[in-house]
Amino acid sequence: MRPDDERYFARIEDRLDEAFERAGAARAQGHDPATEIEIPVAKDMADRVENILGIPDVAERVRELEGEMSREEAALELVTDFVEGTVGDYDTKAGKVEGAVRTAVALLTEGVVAAPIEGIDRVEILQNDDGTEFVNVYYAGPIRSAGGTAQALSVLVADYARSLLGIDEYKARTEEVERYAEEVALYDKETGLQYSPKDKETKFIAEHMPIMLDGEATGDEEVSGFRDLERVDTNSARGGMCLVLAEGIALKAPKIQRYTRGLDEVDWPWLQDLIDGTYYDDGADAEGDAADADDGDDTQDETDETAVDDADAVDPDLGPQGPPRVEPASKYLRDLIAGRPVFGHPSEAGGFRLRYGRARNHGFATAGVHPATMHLVDDFLATGTQIKTERPGKAGGVIPVDSIEGPTVRLANGDVRRVDDPEEALEIRNGVEAILDLGEYLVNFGEFVENNHPLAPASYTHEWWIQDLDHAGADVQAMRDDPHVDLEQPGVDEALQWAAEYDAPLHPAYTYLWHDITVEQFEALAETVADGDVVEGVLAIERTEATTTALEGLLVEHSQTPDSLRIPVWRPFVRSLGLTDGLRKEWDTLSEEARTWDGGDNAVKAVNEVAPFEVQERAPTRIGARMGRPEKSESRDLSPAVHTLFPISEAGGSQRNVADAARVMNDKGQRGVMDLLVGARECTDCGNHSYKPKCPECGGHTEPHYVCDECDIEAEPDESGRVECPRCEREIESVEWHTVDLNSEFHGAMDTVGEREASFKILKGVKGLTSAHKTPEAIEKGVLRAKNGVTAFKDGTVRYDMTDLPVTSVRPEELDVTADHFRQLGYEEDIDGEPLRFDDQLVELKVQDIVLSDGAAEHMLKTADFVDDLLEKFYDLPPFYEVNERDDLIGELVFGMAPHTSAATVGRVVGFTSAAVGYAHPYFHAAKRRNCDGDEDCVMLLMDGLLNFSKEFLPDKRGGQMDAPLVMSSRIDPSEIDDEAHNMDIVRQYPREFYEATREMADPGEVEDLIQLGEDTLGTDDEYRGFDHTHDTTDIALGPDLSAYKTLGSMMDKMDAQLLLSRKLRAVDETDVAERVIEGHFLPDLIGNLRAFSRQETRCLDCGEKYRRMPLTGDCRECGGRVNLTVHQGSVNKYMDVAIEVAEEFGCREYTKQRLAILERSLESVFENDKNKQSGIADFM
Amino acid sequence: MPLSTPSGLVTELARRGYNAEREAITLLANAADPALALDRAVEDAPDDALRITVAHVRAVLDTDKLSADAPTKPPSDESADAPPRESVTQDPPVSTGETDQTAEPKPNRPSQSAPVETEGSASADVEDTVSSTDTGETVPSTDIGDTGKAVPSSTSSDGDSSPPVSTDTTLSSEASQSSHTRNPTPAHITNDMTGASTGTGEYKQFVTTFKDRYERLSKLLRGRVNHRPAKAIQQMPGGSDAEMIGLVNDIRSTASGHWLVELEDTTGTFPCLVMKDKNIAELVDQMLKDECIAIQGTLADDAGILFADSIHFPDIPRTHRPSTADRHVQAALISDVHVGSQEFMADAWNRFTDWLHTPEADPVEYLLIAGDMVEGVGIYPNQDEELDIIDIYDQYERFAEYLKQVPGDMEIVMIPGNHDAVRLAEPQPGFDEELREIMSAHDAKITSNPSTVTVENVSVLMYHGVSLDEVIAELPADKASYDEPHKAMYQLLKKRHVAPQYGGHTRVAPEEKDYLVIEDVPDVFHTGHVHKLGWGKYHNVLAVNSGCWQAQTDFQKSVNIDPDAGYAPILDLDTLEMTVRKFS
Repeated sequence: MRPDDERYFARIEDRLDEAFERAGAARAQGHDPATEIEIPVAKDMADRVENILGIPDVAERVRELEGEMSREEAALELVTDFVEGTVGDYDTKAGKVEGAVRTAVALLTEGVVAAPIEGIDRVEILQNDDGTEFVNVYYAGPIRSAGGTAQALSVLVADYARSLLGIDEYKARTEEVERYAEEVALYDKETGLQYSPKDKETKFIAEHMPIMLDGEATGDEEVSGFRDLERVDTNSARGGMCLVLAEGIALKAPKIQRYTRGLDEVDWPWLQDLIDGTYYDDGADAEGDAADADDGDDTQDETDETAVDDADAVDPDLGPQGPPRVEPASKYLRDLIAGRPVFGHPSEAGGFRLRYGRARNHGFATAGVHPATMHLVDDFLATGTQIKTERPGKAGGVIPVDSIEGPTVRLANGDVRRVDDPEEALEIRNGVEAILDLGEYLVNFGEFVENNHPLAPASYTHEWWIQDLDHAGADVQAMRDDPHVDLEQPGVDEALQWAAEYDAPLHPAYTYLWHDITVEQFEALAETVADGDVVEGVLAIERTEATTTALEGLLVEHSQTPDSLRIPVWRPFVRSLGLTDGLRKEWDTLSEEARTWDGGDNAVKAVNEVAPFEVQERAPTRIGARMGRPEKSESRDLSPAVHTLFPISEAGGSQRNVADAARVMNDKGQRGVMDLLVGARECTDCGNHSYKPKCPECGGHTEPHYVCDECDIEAEPDESGRVECPRCEREIESVEWHTVDLNSEFHGAMDTVGEREASFKILKGVKGLTSAHKTPEAIEKGVLRAKNGVTAFKDGTVRYDMTDLPVTSVRPEELDVTADHFRQLGYEEDIDGEPLRFDDQLVELKVQDIVLSDGAAEHMLKTADFVDDLLEKFYDLPPFYEVNERDDLIGELVFGMAPHTSAATVGRVVGFTSAAVGYAHPYFHAAKRRNCDGDEDCVMLLMDGLLNFSKEFLPDKRGGQMDAPLVMSSRIDPSEIDDEAHNMDIVRQYPREFYEATREMADPGEVEDLIQLGEDTLGTDDEYRGFDHTHDTTDIALGPDLSAYKTLGSMMDKMDAQLLLSRKLRAVDETDVAERVIEGHFLPDLIGNLRAFSRQETRCLDCGEKYRRMPLTGDCRECGGRVNLTVHQGSVNKYMDVAIEVAEEFGCREYTKQRLAILERSLESVFENDKNKQSGIADFM
Repeated sequence: MPLSTPSGLVTELARRGYNAEREAITLLANAADPALALDRAVEDAPDDALRITVAHVRAVLDTDKLSADAPTKPPSDESADAPPRESVTQDPPVSTGETDQTAEPKPNRPSQSAPVETEGSASADVEDTVSSTDTGETVPSTDIGDTGKAVPSSTSSDGDSSPPVSTDTTLSSEASQSSHTRNPTPAHITNDMTGASTGTGEYKQFVTTFKDRYERLSKLLRGRVNHRPAKAIQQMPGGSDAEMIGLVNDIRSTASGHWLVELEDTTGTFPCLVMKDKNIAELVDQMLKDECIAIQGTLADDAGILFADSIHFPDIPRTHRPSTADRHVQAALISDVHVGSQEFMADAWNRFTDWLHTPEADPVEYLLIAGDMVEGVGIYPNQDEELDIIDIYDQYERFAEYLKQVPGDMEIVMIPGNHDAVRLAEPQPGFDEELREIMSAHDAKITSNPSTVTVENVSVLMYHGVSLDEVIAELPADKASYDEPHKAMYQLLKKRHVAPQYGGHTRVAPEEKDYLVIEDVPDVFHTGHVHKLGWGKYHNVLAVNSGCWQAQTDFQKSVNIDPDAGYAPILDLDTLEMTVRKFS
């Protein structure tokens, strides 16, 4: 580690120590359930793994292996140790497999989640029908938190162990295979899966799975066929199993394949078929057929399963006569949601153009979009908005990058122009008639590595062209140094001159999208242009429908008059058409090859035949996308919001208002006195009994107290935490009913902290406690939270959620801070090694530094005030933060913490952004086990966590330990983070060989050596630095701050905007969008509500009592009040008319229209009296 | 469709725009080459002819020697004027056999078919025109007892006699064309609410519906128990005997394994405890929520609960004696045709309708279809991928075509099912005008689901059967299962309600009365929906679930349902005995 990094971590840890000291003093006072700080600092991952598993020697072996290999490999290596018995003390085969599987999951999740212990129930050895043995792994629901990769690898590890132990493969019975299919579908319907495999896919997996996947029942819904199977002991869906099969095996097949290839003992040849989707035909057919790409063409869905497979993706029939292209994949369009627009149909011209590169705010699972595009898609895209994409991954978080090309639009006056300036985009937005092209879409190479996706042909861009020029022998360095030469955006003359002079293709700035027009169009265009005139330096050609379409397809900027199209920059265009500057056509006919290239749909060969220079394919890969989730930046509140974890039963009303509860009169006429279920505690000093953590008698600390209800004997917890009655051996709890005078507790608490009821608007408590010991929190904390306007999460902390986005270099200016601030934080140099002096210098971000959204900063300020109040008024200690303005937060520490994990990561605030996201170093996100495809997680203020978090508050149920900071990592070890981040590339330039390899759709592995990835610097001194990028962006918060999805009001408004946009976008088929919206939103809504109507519950309007069926009395049996329906006609048919309208307007299929018509008649039949039909106004005319 | 079958010939003639006399069809069918004979007959027919008559055919057969010495009789004079018995009259004026079918939206829709009006006199004259020329097309009508597992050969529940299973129905290979004229009397229909749905989806109407259920069903129990209203029981002292009739509001098991059944009447609710060791405890297993039952018992000491001694269901009286026809006449009870599905079994259907044209089927004068005429649209997600006919109206058009193959002198009654294009909530009104128009071929009677249809004195309760799924899911397997769907039907008879449980599977549309109550005891209970064949008698009521005409679908495969497809239960209306014919 470099001394610089050492200093950085030391600074963080110093501040951490300060906080620990202060918090430790506060906790020692005994006001809290435990007298110590409950978030320990973990040394390293190996430690965490061993502790979580309780298997001795694992940590040591893990540390040994860690230096030598990846974690996945280590997990597989450990299998050998378990099998041989060198690690773990297992006698049985089942035990060895179990140990290996648990360790693998723990390792792959960096020991931060509960999945390895809670997600795997057990491993069994069972018998096949032929008498051989097989391995059965029994999963539970929390395996979810392990994520798909670890889930899938747990299966691989089990299989590896199986083969080493000489156990046979699992041979599924037919009914078991069918059961898997039914069950996965059932689970998907009931709970929902990130990825829903089709029945055939599930069956294919089940048939080939060498071990049996089993699990505990997680749902109430039961399968209806394939019940009571001998080897499946439940008829309900087994959630853990379904997750492993669908989100693990089915979704992560390419990843598993990487590891199966490296293992001799394990051979999963069927994975290839799974990846290719060739399982639709029976196995023999798929394997035997060499040209299996043909099968793939038969059905759309089949090709969906596989994004592309290298050479096969090219239609073999066209093989030599067409350019390499990736197969369109429409999977991302599934489950389209109303109000979230489609930006491009699969690989459709006019959609996003794939450009390779990594912007400084780019990383794993992010999508670089031009800010002008964000505005022009009616603000539906904002920084942090998730989009679902065609490739290379499934989804990405949108980031603004203005160093790529913007969108091309046609204005109402017919002008076609490219918009590279967000301001201009806003100005012209109202006049945009059509969006002909969405502009470029920046994807970094690492993304392809991570997804193991063959490279898609790259757009021709200046970063490639410059290398071509260099390769052609030009003195590029000299040209770069020449202030009159702009290699990225040269003038026409220069571009033409270079094209003539060097053997390099025409500059991309003047290369049009010839591949998007047909040869026929090309020939016609050449004729039309030859007939045109050059007037005052502008080319004018006849305006016809065909010519307009061709120019729009090519993205040639032009304007129009009633009878002509005027092209200001025309010389490269004219030359490309094989015309002279005098508009003389220099060719007669095209060769056969050029005319039949790509079936005549692609004019690139034609251009190259007639143009005096080489012309590259400008944008061969288009990427379809649709909106996923909107970005997020908001305070995490329980529902209803909670200020204090103090129970007040129903007395507080639906608002859970403590003040109201304190005023409620009980049977005996006492105000605020109520019976509450809370934990019994005993003072360790004076033996006094109470429910409070701090003894009200002597001020000592109390511990849970156990008395057997039956025998009235006291008991102590054993080592595992269980408490049994020594006489009757019943399990006993410390929870009991206490009569609590809430009124005096409430006022006493206000007195303690010197506040009055007027200090806050409302103080909300909870109805009851869900924790094992039901230890209530001190009301004082709630009073101060309410006063400072923050609320508590279930574990006592104050949290703020933000969408995760990565950033590796920042300008102090864009973070609303100064170079001074940065220097104080220990930043000394900019990315080029120059001393940091100016606010606009680009500085490489340190790994644990984070940028707060404006909302988060405001929330943290409130939290800091709360913490200071708490220290001063409740703990009687000096304040810790003393913030006045948000600049005071700079340098303060926070916890980053992701859902489903149990470990927090310490971060340091360095600045603020107007984007509604949390920007941080990609390694920081990866340490929390997040990627940036629209995931969100939370930040907590350090001191708040230390003071207020307690395990005692956590719910006592499976999964209750998730999302709670059970441990913290004070410094990030790059090799102990989610390895997804290691696949991020960190170079300033991609080499020419890389670009050329993309045109051959090479495997990313083939060019991995050409581009440095994060993983290449792991374990070196450079592991914390040197995260270079290929593309800059002016500001990391360009474009709209909020997606239109969040600013538009009703669902109808959103949907109207979605459909309106679909009409504007050339790459979008609006009928398909309308169809999908109706299919995915309106119809299920209508059908669901109609179904709900005819079997609904009813509710008393007066007392709220619910009835499964309408009472025969008609009135409420409890209070005699009015009972009414819970589902009314209005909620059933609210979308009927609009659905029919949309279906008509967008020309949906007859099938869809008929479904709507039938539904409409059903509604009439149910809601209209046949004998008294409502007459339309027409009846009166 | 092969032209050698009568129905094929009728269809083909209809396609060419001709109606045909019944005997003409017989003659054509018996010709050596029916297709050729048909061609010739059409060519030969005068340009202005709308109907191919016996004369036309005979002329052709005689001249062309196509007849293959089929014995024929000269046509009687009346026959030319006889009303059409193959009711495939053609309404548009027809030029010579090149009617452009596609130009007409509904080319085959009969203008007015009136099978009921046939006097039958013509047919009386016509002798059997049986010939043995027709060899290729046999009707494999297998006795159901032979098919083994698919169909239970007998039912023994409740000690009732099981209906006889025909063992000798295999058709002779010389299937023949019948010249018999059927003479059904029009079906009498009750409980039809088509066009009379007055519900507007208000709370009050739901209450009315359930009140009506309670009032009508409780009447059936009043004779057996001395009902005390819940309110009155609440006031009674502990230890008293009490009897109450109520809708089952809730069924819970207590911690000690006893059953707590909450009954509700129009005054309130009262809890009844059924001890697990009493023999009536097993009745709790058969209970569904919202059915009407009576409980007799003793109040607990604190009068807070009623300890049940006996439980009564409205039930079918054991003394029930069904009415029968006073002549030998039969009805075919089918359901779940599912036209439009890729799995629709056209061949089986064709064999069925062919058989209806044979002398053997002469007594079959009624055809009752218990719902799911077509596969429908949007019944389940991505259904369009599995449809043979995507357009719902085309599905009904095609169904109408298939229906036309049924002899025109049969009386047909149809109710809708859950795949049909009517509301799903029950009661389901009969098809709307647009669909009726499409299916008007036979002037079939269309009524709501459920309805009671009386033919030849025999009352048949027709119900599609959506509630059977729930009954099968809720009750123990020996009381109701997919393999013995009639047993689930017994339960409905016992509860005197076709779909008792509210809030679950069954959807309810509130109306001014509960149309789902079985107020009058039917002689036959006919359902479908579960695609399984099963029948048996419960207290002398014949329960028939009639299988389907759709082969196993992917979905059924995925949930392990093996349907009984291509069977037609044939009911003797004079004896209420049943024979099942297999056509698949």
